[in-house]
Amino acid sequence: MYGGGYVFSDPEHQIPPDDPEKLAEFEARIDRGEKIEPQDWMPYEYRRQLIRLIEQHAHSEIMGALPEGAWITRAPGFKRKLALIAKVQDEVGHAQLLYSAAETLGKSRADMVNDLLSGKSKYSNVFNYPAKTWADVAVIGFLIDAAAIVNQVANSKGSYGPYCRALERICYEESFHLKQGYDAFVALATGTKSQRAMLQDAVNRWYRPIIHFFGPPDQESKHSKQLMRWKVKMASNDDMRNQFLDSYVPKVLELDITFPDPELRKDPQTGRWQFGDPDWAEFYRVINGDGPCNAERLAVRRLAEAQGRWIRQAIMNPQQSVTIPFA
Amino acid sequence: MIDDKSGIQWNSEDPRVQRLGTFFADFHPLQQPEEWVTYEVFHQRRRGEQHVHVGSVHAPDPELALVFAKEQFARRQHCSSLWVVPSSQIHISGYENEDMFSTTPDKTYREASGYRLRHKISSYKQAQLHESDR
Amino acid sequence: MNPTVELITKMADDALIIGHRHSEWTGLGPILEEDIAMASMAQDKIGHALALYTLLQEHFAGPDPDTMAFSRKPADFRCCHLVEHPNGDYDFTLMRHFLFDHAEWLRYQMLRQSSFAPMAHFANRISGELKYHILHANTLLQRLARGSEESHARLQAALNDAFPLAMGIFEPGPYEQELAGTGVFAGEEILKNRWFLEVEHRLLSWGFQVPALSDAPAGWGGRKGYHTEFLQPLLDEMAAVIRSQPEASW
Ligand SMILES: [Fe+2]
Ligand SMILES: [Fe+2]
Repeated sequence: MYGGGYVFSDPEHQIPPDDPEKLAEFEARIDRGEKIEPQDWMPYEYRRQLIRLIEQHAHSEIMGALPEGAWITRAPGFKRKLALIAKVQDEVGHAQLLYSAAETLGKSRADMVNDLLSGKSKYSNVFNYPAKTWADVAVIGFLIDAAAIVNQVANSKGSYGPYCRALERICYEESFHLKQGYDAFVALATGTKSQRAMLQDAVNRWYRPIIHFFGPPDQESKHSKQLMRWKVKMASNDDMRNQFLDSYVPKVLELDITFPDPELRKDPQTGRWQFGDPDWAEFYRVINGDGPCNAERLAVRRLAEAQGRWIRQAIMNPQQSVTIPFA
Repeated sequence: MIDDKSGIQWNSEDPRVQRLGTFFADFHPLQQPEEWVTYEVFHQRRRGEQHVHVGSVHAPDPELALVFAKEQFARRQHCSSLWVVPSSQIHISGYENEDMFSTTPDKTYREASGYRLRHKISSYKQAQLHESDR
Repeated sequence: MNPTVELITKMADDALIIGHRHSEWTGLGPILEEDIAMASMAQDKIGHALALYTLLQEHFAGPDPDTMAFSRKPADFRCCHLVEHPNGDYDFTLMRHFLFDHAEWLRYQMLRQSSFAPMAHFANRISGELKYHILHANTLLQRLARGSEESHARLQAALNDAFPLAMGIFEPGPYEQELAGTGVFAGEEILKNRWFLEVEHRLLSWGFQVPALSDAPAGWGGRKGYHTEFLQPLLDEMAAVIRSQPEASW
């Protein structure tokens, strides 16, 4: 799963100038709706931003395995236990697919993992919040995965071939995630009083991270215009957020579960959802490392990598040079 | 669990992590070869069908690549056979030569659709009909 | 207890507990590809437990599978000590997986001829999954055995720990003769000898020192309901949510 609000970096000051003829050809190809493949010429900035985007997406998948993973050993009943293992396994699989897609652009998986572990790379903010009860697993599986689908379906129509291909498979699996999450959510919502209370409490805690999920409101910048034109960024944060609220707020309200925001409503005139101030300062605090679980998530990833080191090293060939997938 | 750097006690929200003992607050970078090399994976859904490229895996050798590819690329889809090939062994025709593949319209002589006979036969039949009418 | 019920119960309990242990690695594995493979084997094992408890329910009026897995006391479990031990490092996980799955593979091969038809049917159905489990264990262990000094030493140590516990897989149950006599299952002693032939030559060819096959009851007890100190906390954790509201459905 993955959130929007990826951190595209500002264009670097010293972008090597692109060959204008090649650039025109490249842009014409995108305008014709054709995909870009790894062996194609591409603008320096296109490559750089794509690596960043896909890498952040991959990191989010592997980090996303942690909050739900915490409940694998406690999942109630065979059905939930098996579904949760399969779901978290898929998220690890998504990371694998996405790292491969990013590798085709020339950055090795080891480099990407190192950038994650050192704290240099970002990942979706939403995974820096804790999964305190079983109801959190239901909320994540239903609402966070639903949000991720909105985002990933948009991205799957982007211009970079390997990323689109990975997303096609990922979106297929996400529909299972959403279904099993909704199933667990409905089981609690239609269950005992205390199950409902537990679910309501989880929804209250996740509401703000979910609003943050698609990133801050769009700012019109020349930079994001170019990324849109190149089909790297496929939809505006606000549009995706609106689409998500449109589809899923009614499904939650139908179950007599509420959102902790009296201002949340759809404007019948504009068709846009309005909500109370979600405190974007918190969004920036968390993305810069100061969320409730940032330290734990990073430490756990470091632990996992450190524990696996003897295995990876025992069967590596130090003489072999790194290869990257070709598609 | 104990933080490897500060010695401070940590509590993980994940009981599985809690059991692993040490908490790695410190960053120990991976060396490049630790992630092994990449193998391209080709998947055959059923006997008789083509093997189709579905992605790649990291592995130290082909046997382990097959073991890994099985669960990453064939855990849902039906599968009869997998191939793995080191990525370094794939040769690619560059996209800059994509135009080599386009054929000009007058190559229809090598397509079945380039041979249209029905109208010839019908006009022959028509002519025959005229003849006998006379 | 019915001999077949006793056999199925211990097999199901073994599968559940080792599957649960495998699933503790999901999302935390040594490399992405291996993480995915181990998560699949965890699902396979837990799936086998579910199928076996379902056999008990359908053919022997047993309780429903969730009750079997989430509501019994440790003393009612018949799993062996080998599966109960915590994962520790990946070395122990791998060695246990190797020792256990070779026994599983052979056990189910024997059960393909079982006179209890539903079991024979089940054994046939899962044979492909088990084949993968031993392929995975063999391929990875062979490489790690020859990998580095560290990996060899780690796995030798894991073997020394796991091997005596593995004897508990073959702890004879109270109905060995009935099961053999009725053609349901040929027996633990035969299985143990076949297993030793399989694992010994592999381990030797990978340069490990193989402990002697012992009849000493090290690692025994599980089949009679005596367990290690690790089972109770495992079961408590597994049932933590379910027990928080026993009447609720989840
Ligand atoms: Fe995902
Ligand atoms: Fe997902």
